Amino acid sequence: MAMMNPVYTSRQDMLDEVITLGEEIVASSNLEVLRENANLNGESFSGKMSKFGSEYAKWYANHFVMPKPLVQAIQDNIVYVHDLDQYAIGTTNCIFIPFDKLLREGFNTGNGSVRPPNSIMTAMALVAIIFQSQQNAQYGGVSANKLDHDLAPYVTKSFVKYFRKGLDYFEEGDSAADYGLITMARSDLQAQYPRAFKYAVKETESETLQAAESLIHNLNTMSSRAGGQIPFTSINYGTCTSIEGQLVISSLLAATMRGLGSGETPIFPIQIFKCKQGVNQQPGEPNYELFLKAAECSAKRLYPNFANLDAPLNLMYYDPANPDTEFATMGCRTRVLSDRFGRNHLSGKGNLSFNTLNLVKLGLEHGIALGLRQTADEQGFYRELEHYMDIALDGLLHRFRIQSSQKAKASDFMMREGVWEGGEQLNPEDTVGELLKHGSLSIGFIGLAECMKAMYGKHHGEDADVYKKAYNLIAFMRDYCDRQSERHNLNITLFATPAEGLSGKFTKRDRADYGEIPGVVDREYYTNSFHIPVYYNISAAKKIELEAPFHGLCNAGAISYIELNGSARSNPAAFLRIIQYALSQQVSYFSINHPIDRCSGCGYEGIIGASCPSCNASEQDVHIRRLRRVTGYLTGDFQTRFNAAKQAEVRDRLKHST
Amino acid sequence: MNICGYYPESINEGEGLRAALFISGCRHYCKGCFSPATWNFLYGEPFTPEREQEIIRDIAGNPLLSGVSILGGDPFFSAAEVSAFLDRLREAAGAISAWIYSGYTFEELTRDAKSPEYGLLSRCQVLVDGRYVDELRDPSLLYRGSSNQRLIDIPASLSQRGIVEWRPTFSF
Ligand code: SF4
Repeated sequence: MAMMNPVYTSRQDMLDEVITLGEEIVASSNLEVLRENANLNGESFSGKMSKFGSEYAKWYANHFVMPKPLVQAIQDNIVYVHDLDQYAIGTTNCIFIPFDKLLREGFNTGNGSVRPPNSIMTAMALVAIIFQSQQNAQYGGVSANKLDHDLAPYVTKSFVKYFRKGLDYFEEGDSAADYGLITMARSDLQAQYPRAFKYAVKETESETLQAAESLIHNLNTMSSRAGGQIPFTSINYGTCTSIEGQLVISSLLAATMRGLGSGETPIFPIQIFKCKQGVNQQPGEPNYELFLKAAECSAKRLYPNFANLDAPLNLMYYDPANPDTEFATMGCRTRVLSDRFGRNHLSGKGNLSFNTLNLVKLGLEHGIALGLRQTADEQGFYRELEHYMDIALDGLLHRFRIQSSQKAKASDFMMREGVWEGGEQLNPEDTVGELLKHGSLSIGFIGLAECMKAMYGKHHGEDADVYKKAYNLIAFMRDYCDRQSERHNLNITLFATPAEGLSGKFTKRDRADYGEIPGVVDREYYTNSFHIPVYYNISAAKKIELEAPFHGLCNAGAISYIELNGSARSNPAAFLRIIQYALSQQVSYFSINHPIDRCSGCGYEGIIGASCPSCNASEQDVHIRRLRRVTGYLTGDFQTRFNAAKQAEVRDRLKHST
Repeated sequence: MNICGYYPESINEGEGLRAALFISGCRHYCKGCFSPATWNFLYGEPFTPEREQEIIRDIAGNPLLSGVSILGGDPFFSAAEVSAFLDRLREAAGAISAWIYSGYTFEELTRDAKSPEYGLLSRCQVLVDGRYVDELRDPSLLYRGSSNQRLIDIPASLSQRGIVEWRPTFSF
């Protein structure tokens, strides 16, 4: 085998590196490797096993697979290749699953075939199985973009069953007779067969709630990838206005509020409530009550987040007759809506991969922070930015070729069952390239704030002129992506990267190279995407106003957060006002962070300082579980499962209400 | 008058997102008071016209606020000055809802309709009243510390000459 990227002088060096890799994993000695992903327990047997695979796969990709300039750009600490361990084998990132189709037609998991469900209970159980099966065929998240619409027909099926049973039971009618299309909206049936109808409603409601509870429990307990991880699941809902669809939504919210086993907050699935004027935003609209309930749930449980179907970049694809065109998101923020090949809907496709740029280092090289020049060298900055975007893009295209050349049989469930649209038409030996082109290739970025500091001495929250420059920079990147889309005839998009494993890595290297630079490299992490830094004191409204325009630029996805200090659950009015303000400012995807602590002594949930306000037990004596959000996902206890950089970020978060 | 705290946005001192202003000075001396340092009228920083303007500008320019909350100490020991502040705030920012916290009860504050205390009370919409009683402490209560304290709808109570409790707009 030819070594494409020889960086070693001797085979002995290579061997040493491979051996050290293994030793560190066995001994759990490198905490940063272990905690790279807050969702994976790197100290468990299965976690270590998967670390062995992934660390070696990365090593292999680095030395034998990736284009040399890309490897160099990684070494230069400017480009980051996400999920590098999957590069060489051509796995893809994430997907919106067409649950409607899979449930309607039945499917085969590979271990057995499944009939279409006849009740909401079974349907929700199958949703969990489908999530799990698909998770194993890719490396990123799995999402349901319209779960309310997808599941409503199975609520109806349950209702019909109970109604017919009720007719018999109350001797109101002939259970086998033809009543036309029986639904929960049939007021004529209700008038004619009141007892059977009422019974059927009650039973259907309780079955749906139970089904929702079991779905949420399943999604928090099941494993994928050899037991190392819980599937990264997201569910979007909120716009289905049939009685059945509304019942699905209210049951999911109720089950989430009830919480898991002993009432604790579920970590998965990420839930997203889709907000749409005319559907659920004002009193009198059909799902307004559900929107209020979603806000209540979010105030108690941090989920759901809120997707804005009225933001211009989402509204342009919206077709009220087709819920598959409603903007939804992979919980972490990935957005795949438009497709230059016409599939301007969500389910059946996803993101293929993304590479992220370290804007801070480019800023350091061309800005004033190092004290080498009086004014920023913008020309040099843009020249280099474009150079590295070219490299990042070449990497994506190179990876795309590897992905495209994979055979349908390699992606198993995803292709054979048509989770990826059209996959079911391929023979096992066919390659998947023609289908994958509907997915997106994304270039991401982090550290806009620190980049501005490095260039001009102020970040975009501090100064109106710098804000303009920051906006133009991201607009330049978007423009680049649009141009390259045309040139390569592929969906190339700009991503406001969620930087979990990454946030500290870039920083650590830059600090080693440049030392501590005040306001730029003086923390353990760089600020996420285009966000105003979490440590910067700014009002919630101002933060929303400043971040909103960037959402329009980041067509591969973005999220904005507001941090609240205090018991959000007792102040719904504040919660609602902030959400609706963010929606009105065209923020595409939004959520409010607030601390949820749980005393393991008495079960009190709320804000807990050094001692529990309810039972007075001190932090030293009882375990206080502190739930926080990290890059979109919740993490059970941020002190033990976050990497150091993310722990620092959580500590630094400046609340908008302190 | 001194102030001993100002939070431009808070969710802990009343419904909605509110600006919270803490006025120094209190003579109730409740046992278990959350912050005895605020009893001192000279605690904190002087409420200069410049500082006042800054706060008024802040509040007027924040579209997310549902109003202002005034706490202490006990603002009713500085009733006339706080009333004047509220008047200037409303002149600049329009009709802004005000919550006010006091160690006095509603009954005590309404004894004399000509008093500065009554004047301040009538300028506000919700009163959180009564001393803090350590034995009645309950961390699950909304916006207050002990169960003797009440959330009172001031305009309704004044017009009906009896206590009307405030009810949240949304109840989760
Ligand atoms: S009224 Fe409030 S500030 Fe005054 S002593 Fe009582 S608790 Fe403390």
